[in-house]
Amino acid sequence: MLKIENLQASIEGKQILKGINLEVKPGEVHAIMGPNGSGKSTLASVLAGREEYEVDGGTISYLDKDLLELAPEERAHAGIFLAFQYPVEIPGVSTTNFLKTAVNQVRAARGLKALDAVSFLKEMKEKMKLVDIDQALLSRALNEGFSGGEKKRNEIFQMAMLEPKLAILDETDSGLDIDALKIVADGVNKLKTADNATIVVTHYQRLLDYIVPDYVHVLYQGKIVKSGDKSLALELEDKGYDWIKEELAAV
Amino acid sequence: MSEVINIEESIISRFNSWIDQHYPSDSALKSLKKSAIDKFEELGLPSRKSEAYKYTPITKILEKNFDFQTSLSSPEWTKSECESNFYTETDANHLVFINGEFIEDYSKIVSASSDLTIRLLDDHAFTEIPELKENLGKVNGTSIDPFANLSLAFFNQGLYIKASRNSDNKNTYIYQFIDGTNFSPISFPRIFIKGDSGSRTRVYEKTYIKGEEKSLNISIVESVVDANAEVRFTKLQQYLTSTYSIEGIYAQQSKDSRFYTNTFSFKGAVIRNNVYINIDAENCEGHMNGLYQISGKTHVDNNTSVDHLKPHSYSNELYKGILDENAKGVFNGKIYVRPDAQKTNAFQSNNNILLSDTATINTKPQLEIWADDVQCSHGCTTGQLDKEAIFYLRSRGIEKTRAKALLLNAFANEALVELQNDLVKEEVEGIILNKLG
Repeated sequence: MLKIENLQASIEGKQILKGINLEVKPGEVHAIMGPNGSGKSTLASVLAGREEYEVDGGTISYLDKDLLELAPEERAHAGIFLAFQYPVEIPGVSTTNFLKTAVNQVRAARGLKALDAVSFLKEMKEKMKLVDIDQALLSRALNEGFSGGEKKRNEIFQMAMLEPKLAILDETDSGLDIDALKIVADGVNKLKTADNATIVVTHYQRLLDYIVPDYVHVLYQGKIVKSGDKSLALELEDKGYDWIKEELAAV
Repeated sequence: MSEVINIEESIISRFNSWIDQHYPSDSALKSLKKSAIDKFEELGLPSRKSEAYKYTPITKILEKNFDFQTSLSSPEWTKSECESNFYTETDANHLVFINGEFIEDYSKIVSASSDLTIRLLDDHAFTEIPELKENLGKVNGTSIDPFANLSLAFFNQGLYIKASRNSDNKNTYIYQFIDGTNFSPISFPRIFIKGDSGSRTRVYEKTYIKGEEKSLNISIVESVVDANAEVRFTKLQQYLTSTYSIEGIYAQQSKDSRFYTNTFSFKGAVIRNNVYINIDAENCEGHMNGLYQISGKTHVDNNTSVDHLKPHSYSNELYKGILDENAKGVFNGKIYVRPDAQKTNAFQSNNNILLSDTATINTKPQLEIWADDVQCSHGCTTGQLDKEAIFYLRSRGIEKTRAKALLLNAFANEALVELQNDLVKEEVEGIILNKLG
């Protein structure tokens, strides 16, 4: 589904990613872990098409397409979804209106006809249950004045509405209390199918107790320096990142 | 060789010949008009150093574009032509001005005269209605503004609207029809609105201009709002690139009253709006909202002030600007809270988005507070569209142009909160969207 080869990316002339290789197949959950500043969020941003980042080399193929050729909205149409680390507050646009526009633009791009108001509301009601989000919240301006937990739940709610093939969760757990974390993880798990894949970017192992990864990758200084199964995450939780740094220094 | 005369002299000489043609020597209005031109002569047009017109060199603009000596021929707007432009609300008053003069015959009045008095503001009205004599040309500082004095001197066939005690009135639409086909018209529409105690009045003004010639519109609305009454005045300024307009709204509020203005500016050559509210009583609410969404070379200058003289009143002002291409915006908002006006709540905000490198905005909030137990805030922001917000919307599958339009539309729509009329709201929303492309 996704194949990243030797990806190098920089921002404002500073190189952050220094040759990433990663392959994700349908049905898989990959966790990207790493210390602060290792390039985790950069990777997520490059996948979603954030324009501030310059791709200096390497390729990303997604469903046999050159992902780097696509505008952010085209990536969304093709089924990529980024749950933001810091969801943006947008005054004056209600979540409902925004989502209706988004859902219908995505549907149009996929050759489906627009949802009418009734089916849209029905769809919304179903998906709201998934993340236990309140209707009142959705009629308010998008993320404006939302708590951290509400914003993250809203991200997963949007994900549920847009039904992505590849979801990238960027630090979705940072700043969440355990209850909110459980709700968010529960939502993600319910959305999981054999056809879609998830990349979980996180600093903390805790999230991986609830969203169990098939693969764990450690990103350090712009490269994936270690890959393993979920036990790697536990090891990291136990020993921190220093042993990896030492291991690398020893090579 | 003819002597070069300055614009003030030209205006005054024009007045001197005009007044005798239009008003007999025993006219009561004539003496008021003569004193207005004297006052104008004394004040003069704003000089280059005028702080109030710092970013809008109005005198130079007038000198360059208008000749006050030109004699005007008759405008051509037929009754049916006017009617075809009325809003579709039938159970409402539709009042027609042509080149600044109220044309009763073209107007459609449905309100019972026991609720709403709508009549020509002429010599008869001025003689018969004591409050006109008492207030015309005097409401909240109109007498110290050169353009308000010009308006008072030159207006002909003005409009007087009075809401009777406790009347809840039907919507009133005022249409300014301007004909600049064969000559360059200078119009002086004058409107006086009185809300008697406990009444409610809602007025919406819109302008239609035809012809290629430059037009100048000097418009003054005076409003006296009695105890517990409410007056709302909304203006839609969708002019031509040959339109120059200087417009004033002057309100005087009594206790427990509410006054609202909405000013939506979309197009024109130069538009200057003066909105001044005087709250000389307790428990009043004054609202001033505005949107200027402009492009090309349109220049819009909003000069506003609210003066709190008594305690326990509230004022709120929100102006939003979206400026593209070479558009120029100016905002000046004054809030005065006088020593007696304790427990005043006064809020002001002006937010701007510049869509091009060549659009400009000069914004200046001014608070002068003498009372010590008040809540006041003001703020102005100027920026571009939030890139992160655009990316957020795009990452959800919304195309870039649509994402921008969505954000700008949301930004602009905040200025519509106090617009209660669905027809006008729909129209304004339509213009906003249309301008966003």
